[in-house]
Amino acid sequence: MELEDIIGWTLRIGVIISIALILLGLVFLIVKPPEYHIFRLLSSPTSPINSSALPPLQSLTGIYQLNGIDVILLGLMVLIATPVIRVLMGIYNLLGRGIIYM
Amino acid sequence: MLSAALLTFAFLAVVSLVAGFLGSLTGLGGGTFLVPIYTLFLGIPIEYAAGASLISTIATSSGAGSAYVRDRITNVRIGMSLEIATTTGSIVGSLTAAWIYSHGLQRIIYIMFGIVLLGSIYTQITRSKYELPEPKPPDKWTRWLQLYGKYYDQALGREVDYWGVRWWLGELIMFFAGLISGLLGIGSGALKVLGMDWAMNLPMKVSTTTSNFMIGVTAATGSSIYWFFGYIQPFFAAATAVGVLAGSLIGTKVLVRIKNVTIRYIFMAILAILGVQMILRGLGIWAPR
Repeated sequence: MELEDIIGWTLRIGVIISIALILLGLVFLIVKPPEYHIFRLLSSPTSPINSSALPPLQSLTGIYQLNGIDVILLGLMVLIATPVIRVLMGIYNLLGRGIIYM
Repeated sequence: MLSAALLTFAFLAVVSLVAGFLGSLTGLGGGTFLVPIYTLFLGIPIEYAAGASLISTIATSSGAGSAYVRDRITNVRIGMSLEIATTTGSIVGSLTAAWIYSHGLQRIIYIMFGIVLLGSIYTQITRSKYELPEPKPPDKWTRWLQLYGKYYDQALGREVDYWGVRWWLGELIMFFAGLISGLLGIGSGALKVLGMDWAMNLPMKVSTTTSNFMIGVTAATGSSIYWFFGYIQPFFAAATAVGVLAGSLIGTKVLVRIKNVTIRYIFMAILAILGVQMILRGLGIWAPR
């Protein structure tokens, strides 16, 4: 496979995994709903629930408890990581071929 | 309460779908329409609106853009060489946004957003007058960075050879594109296209697809900083990402069929209305909510 194919598939697979995790998180929210007040806070426009209140490592442990919000957060993390992985693959490939802009 | 929360999610996803659809048809990206709608009409704080928007542009860039990469229309090499500037700009932009938000100066973001919206009307007027640029002689950047490429143009039915010039100017514009992206939480694809189409003299199709390709890593950089400062509300961001991605995928399917000029006037009117409203909100003169 050439670089373009590797990059193209990385992007597509990353997005599919991310969207699948978001939808799975939504299902967990329905199956195993959190307490009433958390739900209220979650959908209020000026919600205090945000990324600074939810450390990434904490949400990774929450996934084992089928915590819907944590699974959604993991989906968002995968989404952010997708283009970063793409860049790393590109750099690795260019270094491997020894043609870094010279 | 469960159904109310799910209804919120579904509602935001539908609004995002419309924004993503409009963003795809105009080539401006979902965020351009999304942030004004969220802040002006849904009462969502601009930090959360920008955060959700920025995350959603990653989904659009990666999801809708991957096909162009595999079709070899996107120039990965030129894209990666310009990402140095867009990501640097994005770091500066999102840190500036964090400073502005922490000082309660949200109105600055509203005003800047309004100006960008009004400015993007211009891109709608001048858009795609020509498909291929008048060739300019290769300069030292072209040779040094090997900015040559070729792609198969379906409309022209032949292979097009091209090369980029004035890389330094492209890089400079990309820095500002990244800055705006991080500051306002949008992809700022129009500025990226300007950097490649006007500054580097690349064919339109290469410029738009490579711009879309670069938006992903630019937005990922900004999103990480937004994440740290707590501007990502998971529920809103997730609904937005799903909606905008779906809207942009529908948009790219419809795009090939729409050849209507009046539709473009409607887009310009929407941009003008949202732009003026954002500025008025920023000045504290009028707020619809």
